[in-house]
Amino acid sequence: MPPTDYDVVIIGAGPAGSTTARFAAASGLRVLLVDKRQELGAPIQCSGAISRHALEQVGIAPEAEFIHEAIYGFAIYDQHGDREVHDYRRLKPDEYGSEPGKKPLGYVVDRRRFDRYLMTQAERAGAEVWLKTEGLGYRPEADGYCTVSLRRYNQAIDIRTRILVGADGLQSQVGRWAGLQTHIKITELAGCLQFIVDRVETEGLLEIVTGHEWAPGGYAWVFPKGHGYAEIGLGVIATMTDRPARWHLDKFITQSFFRERFADCRILEVQGGGVPLAAPLRTQYADNLILVGDAARHVNPITGGGLHTAVAGGKIAADYIIGHLADGLPLQDGALEGYQRLWLEELGDKMWKLYGIKTDIFHNMNIPERDRQLYATMADYFSPTSEFKKI
Amino acid sequence: MSKQQPVLFSIGWNACINCGACVAICPQEAGFVSPFDTIAVDRPCDIACLLCEQICPVDTITHQPVPRPGGHNGVNGQ
Ligand SMILES: Cc1cc2nc3c(=O)[nH]c(=O)nc-3n(C[C@H](O)[C@H](O)[C@H](O)COP(=O)(O)OP(=O)(O)OC[C@H]3O[C@@H](n4cnc5c(N)ncnc54)[C@H](O)[C@@H]3O)c2cc1C
Ligand code: SF4
Repeated sequence: MPPTDYDVVIIGAGPAGSTTARFAAASGLRVLLVDKRQELGAPIQCSGAISRHALEQVGIAPEAEFIHEAIYGFAIYDQHGDREVHDYRRLKPDEYGSEPGKKPLGYVVDRRRFDRYLMTQAERAGAEVWLKTEGLGYRPEADGYCTVSLRRYNQAIDIRTRILVGADGLQSQVGRWAGLQTHIKITELAGCLQFIVDRVETEGLLEIVTGHEWAPGGYAWVFPKGHGYAEIGLGVIATMTDRPARWHLDKFITQSFFRERFADCRILEVQGGGVPLAAPLRTQYADNLILVGDAARHVNPITGGGLHTAVAGGKIAADYIIGHLADGLPLQDGALEGYQRLWLEELGDKMWKLYGIKTDIFHNMNIPERDRQLYATMADYFSPTSEFKKI
Repeated sequence: MSKQQPVLFSIGWNACINCGACVAICPQEAGFVSPFDTIAVDRPCDIACLLCEQICPVDTITHQPVPRPGGHNGVNGQ
């Protein structure tokens, strides 16, 4: 009998966990992927914007099953409604468009279907997947492996594994099990609320509205959601306002320069969540354990986007695990530090740089000046010449 | 962290959208959660920083002060 039940146990079947599971299982490792939910992705806590490049990079085909709508560019607004548009259908007409032979820049995906699709791919690659299964804790053992405690349909189960991956999202408990410093500062977690609406026109662009007036500490957005629907949302930093996100979203809808555009809107769904506009965790590994995705705060601190970094990070985590286990290296006493180094090299260093840019903007206490900086930074970030185009 | 009097949180479930932002900001140790992806509402919080109330996008968390527990395992009489 092998000394462990699995080589890798992954807690959380979001984009990060399922991508890690898919690559690890495809290499022949024995992988168990668990999620406490009954339906992945639900309730939705995400707007679903992801670039085509991000999908391609990790071998995810753009399937109709999970795509709400194709995206061709960005429109960035200042607080008065002046805007800068980067429409790739005009910038690179030979490459981007909806006509045959041309492609979109990205997609707005349905997280319920997207997450289920990614889980299915992991399953088909050979991973075992258990839904309705909550991770409760883990214990590194003297023999170099570890025991993970799960609860599945009320039944307590202990599993022995070589590596545990915490892919349990923003509310991550796995890092806390290992005593890692996972706390997010209140000044760096945006409280977000969004409505899926009918009767708001969109133009195949992700629209981003900056300005303290509308979203103190964050920004507001209008995304196309397919079938003629749109998504209106915003995120705010609690220390920059006395009001909850909901109050700001009502104000944005009824008082902003978009009030006429939104005048007839009908709310079809209400969603929300927290977005860390924070630095990645300084330590993302412990004995037998690594963290990936939101659990490691792998989120772009300028845009709040975490889907690209979740799937890209999932691949990095899997590549690392495959190599490390194949070499039969130790798993405890700092032995997994190489994961973090690999991640920093491939993604993290750029994210630290973005964190620096973001921090400089929000440390400016002069609001009109800060508004100008944020608008300029966002407009530049999404431009075709941006050095960060690929995150 | 503050040496506040412990509090018991209460969540207005009608407004809660199960977004988990309150858990994400919570400095408690692992497991201070409810089955609905929110902070725990069945035992007192001895940190009482109230960051969860600040972050909640729909403003649906409130609290009541409770007596400081006598022993270490102080679950107040709920
Ligand atoms: C309002 C909002 C809008 C957003 N919009 C965008 C966007 O447009 N584009 C973008 O790129 N990013 C966006 N993000 C960020 C994005 O949603 C996250 O970065 C992304 O979901 C992270 O993926 P993940 O796999 O790390 O974690 P998650 O998607 O959070 O998955 C974690 C999984 O772990 C499971 N889990 C948690 N704890 C346990 C446990 N103890 N046991 C078992 N399972 C557990 C959960 O059920 C969940 O399925 C948005 C976020 C919010 C809040
Ligand atoms: S932050 Fe508010 S809305 Fe979100 S889960 Fe907690 S109580 Fe519910």
